[in-house]
Amino acid sequence: MCKKLIITVFLPLFIVFISNTYSVAQDARAIVKEGFNYMRGKSSFSVVDMTIHRPNWERKMTIEAWTKGLKNSLFRIIAPAKDKDNGTLKRGREMWMYNPKINRVIKLPPSMMSQAWMGSDFSNNDLSKTDTLIDEYIHTITGTQTHDGKKVYLIKSIPKPDAPVVWGMQKLKIREDYVFLAQEFYDEDFKLVKVMTTLQIRMLGGKMFPKIWRMQKAETTDEYTELNYKKLSFKKNLKDSLFTISNLKNPRR
Amino acid sequence: MYFQLAWRNIWRNPRRTAVIMTAIIIGVWSMIFLNALMRGMESDMIKNSISTLTGHLQIHHKDYRNDPVIENSMYDTKALETALNKVLPPGAHRAARIRVNAIAGNARHTSGITLVGINPVPEAKTSFIGHAINQGRYLKPEDKYGVIVGQALLVKFETKIGRKLVLMSQDTDGNIASRAFRIIGTFKAEMQATEKQFAFVTITAARQMLKLEKGISEVSITLPDNIDADHVTTRLKAELGTDGYQIQTWRELLPIINAYLVIFDGFIFIWSFVVFIAMGFGIVNTTLMAVFERMREFGLLKALGMKPWWIIRDVLSESFLLLVMGMTIGNIMALLCVFALSGSGIDLSAFAAGAEFAGISKIIYPAVYAKDVLISNFVVIILGLLVSIYPAAKAARFTPVEALAQT
Repeated sequence: MCKKLIITVFLPLFIVFISNTYSVAQDARAIVKEGFNYMRGKSSFSVVDMTIHRPNWERKMTIEAWTKGLKNSLFRIIAPAKDKDNGTLKRGREMWMYNPKINRVIKLPPSMMSQAWMGSDFSNNDLSKTDTLIDEYIHTITGTQTHDGKKVYLIKSIPKPDAPVVWGMQKLKIREDYVFLAQEFYDEDFKLVKVMTTLQIRMLGGKMFPKIWRMQKAETTDEYTELNYKKLSFKKNLKDSLFTISNLKNPRR
Repeated sequence: MYFQLAWRNIWRNPRRTAVIMTAIIIGVWSMIFLNALMRGMESDMIKNSISTLTGHLQIHHKDYRNDPVIENSMYDTKALETALNKVLPPGAHRAARIRVNAIAGNARHTSGITLVGINPVPEAKTSFIGHAINQGRYLKPEDKYGVIVGQALLVKFETKIGRKLVLMSQDTDGNIASRAFRIIGTFKAEMQATEKQFAFVTITAARQMLKLEKGISEVSITLPDNIDADHVTTRLKAELGTDGYQIQTWRELLPIINAYLVIFDGFIFIWSFVVFIAMGFGIVNTTLMAVFERMREFGLLKALGMKPWWIIRDVLSESFLLLVMGMTIGNIMALLCVFALSGSGIDLSAFAAGAEFAGISKIIYPAVYAKDVLISNFVVIILGLLVSIYPAAKAARFTPVEALAQT
C-alpha cells in the first residue's frame, strides 16, 4: 500500500522535478491529443451550417458530416439544392471529392491539397492533416487563463525542424475540459496568418461543445468562414463501410 | 576599256548616281542589319533554352515526355553510364536529374513548380544554375534539406533565405509526399517564368522525398560547339536501343523554339525579297531613264560600228559598278551599326513581359554570320545585274537612224 502510494504520487512528482521542461512538453502534447480526441469523439455525426463571408458576398451551405477517429471523415452538402450531394471523403491523408453534376469522384492530387475547401477559409490540408498538429509539433504550455470559471491552457506549438508543415508556429487555447477555444496560425516570422475561434460553448451531443467555429484571416475582419453546429451526436462506432468511395457517390445513410 | 567607259558614264550625272546608290545602300544595309538582329535574337533564344535545363540532347524513359511522373524513371543507370562514356566526345557535359511537377507552399502562398533533383557538381557545368546564384549559396551534394528557388518566386512567396518551403508531390507509391526544405539560395534567370518555375534540391533529397531508391528522370547533355547533336543522338540510339529510352535533340525537345527558327528564316527571306523588289524597280527605272537620255549617244556609237552586245556590256558594267559601290558602303554601314550595338545591345526590358513567352532575351545583341552577309550581297549583285539586262537590251536595240533622228 505504502509502496504503491510512493509510486503513484512521488514518482510522477520526481519525474517532474528532474526533467521539468520535458514533462511539461509531454503534458502539453497529452492535452492537445486529449483535446482532439474529445472534440472528435470515437465517431460522430453532425449537421453544420457553413457560412463563407466575404466583403462583397456571403454564401451559406448546410453540410452533413460523419467522422470516425482522427483518420476518417465524410462530408456531404445537403443544401442549397444547387450544391446538393457534393461530397468529400477523407481517409488518412488522402481525400476524394465527388461532384454529382458530372458524376465523378476525383482523388485530390497534391496540387489541390492547399486550395480552399469549397471556397471557404479552410484548405484541404486543414481537413486532411489535422492530426499532424499532434505529432509534427513540439508543444509547450506557456500560461493559463480562466474562461467560464475553468482553467484554460495556452499552448505554443512549434513544428519539429524537418516537419513538412507550412506554419511557423501555432498557438492553441484548450480549456481544462478539453474544449478548444482558439487555434492561431503563424508564419515563420511569427506573424499571425489566420485564427480559428470557437463561441457559444454549450451541451451538444452529450458534452460541452462549441456551437460556432470561426476561421478568420488575420489581416481582414470581413473575410471569414463560420461553422454553426445544428446537430451533433457522438456515436460509439460508425461502420467502416460508411467511409468508402461507393458511399461517397451513392449515399445509403 | 568597258570599265573605264562605264566609270566615266556613271559620273556624268552624279545626282542620278547618288539616288540609285542610296537605294542600294539602304537595301543592303537593312538586309544585313536586320539579319544580324534576327540572328542575335535567335542565338540568344537557343542559348537560353539550351541552358535552361534542356541541353543539346536529353535521354528519358520512353513514356516520360508524355507523362512526366516519377513512375516513368530510368532505373538502369549503369547501362546509361556505359553507353554515355562510350559515345560522348571529350568536352561534353552531362547531368542526371529527377524532375517532377510539385507544389511549393509556405504559410501564405502556394504555387505549382517543377521540382528538380540535381547532382550539384555536374549540373553546374551543364546548365545555367551553376552560375546563376545571386543570393545565398549553391547546393552542395550533402544538402538534405536545402532548396534553391528563383528570385521571382522568393518575392512572390514573401519569404527569404533561411526560411522553410514545403514541397509536395506524388511519390512512387502514388501517395502524397511532402517534405520541408530550407531556402539556401536564389537564382536569377533571363526570364521571370524560369525563376518562378524551378526549385532545385539535391538528387538524394528528391529520392528520399519521392521514395525512389535509384533511378533518374532525365539525362541532359551539352556538347562542345563543333559536335553535331544529331550525330551523337544516332550513336546513342544505336547504343541504348529505343525500346526503353527516348533520345531527343533540343530541336525535338523544344518544338516551339524550332518553329520560331523556321519562322525567322522565312521572315528573313521575305524581307530580303521585299527589299529587293523595291531596290530592283529603282535600278530598272533609273537605268532605263539613263538609257533613254543617252539615246543619241548609243545611236552614234552604233553608227560608229559598236556591236549591240558591246552596248549591253557597257550598260551592265555601269550597273555592276553602281551595285559594287552601293554594296560596299551598305556593308560598311551595317557592320558599323552592328559594331555600335554590340556593346550595349538593344534593350527590350520595357517590353520584356511580352517577349518572354517566346524565350527572347531582354537585350538583343546583333550577331553577324558570314553566310548571311555573303548571301545578301550575292543576291543583290546577281538580281541587280539581271534586272539591268532589260534597259541594256533596250539600249542595244536602238537603230542609228532612229536614234540620231532624236534631238
